[in-house]
Amino acid sequence: MAEEDFLVTLRYALWFLVFTAAIVSYRVVFGPTLADRVVALNTATTKVVVMVAILSVVLNAYYLLDVAIVLLMVNAVGGLIIAKYLEVGR
Amino acid sequence: MIEFALLAFGLFIMLFGALGLIRFPDVYTRLHATAKCDTGGAMSILLALAVSVDAPAVVRFKFILLAFLIALINPMLSHAIARGAYKRGIKPKVVVDMYAGNNP
Repeated sequence: MAEEDFLVTLRYALWFLVFTAAIVSYRVVFGPTLADRVVALNTATTKVVVMVAILSVVLNAYYLLDVAIVLLMVNAVGGLIIAKYLEVGR
Repeated sequence: MIEFALLAFGLFIMLFGALGLIRFPDVYTRLHATAKCDTGGAMSILLALAVSVDAPAVVRFKFILLAFLIALINPMLSHAIARGAYKRGIKPKVVVDMYAGNNP
């Protein structure tokens, strides 16, 4: 557990990150090309990783950090596969 | 007190990255906005958590490892997406395109 003021700040930071992820999801839905959607999805996934890391401190449940690390690696592999699909086209 | 400064810095960097993703006109300029802003903001917030948390040393090491992995993975992904988008045929809206000489 961190100290109390920082925990209260972290709760507001969590909602702030949800707000920025909502801004980013506009580009996921209305993006003109496929590359725009991929960029926005990678950005949103990085925000989700940070949100899970903050949540592990807020809930005092540190096993969620492993979830964050695995989600980051899955994001890396998926993004590389989609980038390869953009390059090759099939 | 250092953790409040790092947290506020990371949150503002992430907000400006999201605004750049909305407002910029092109795939490559959007990548320019989001790749650097997201990497720096996420690393700053994770360092703030690693400084402030009152837990065993393994938890601090996991926060540092997460920041290190973000610093490795995020630039690699943005490079791969930019290369794939250029090879697909999406042209950047710029005056001088230096990359077009090698990729007709």
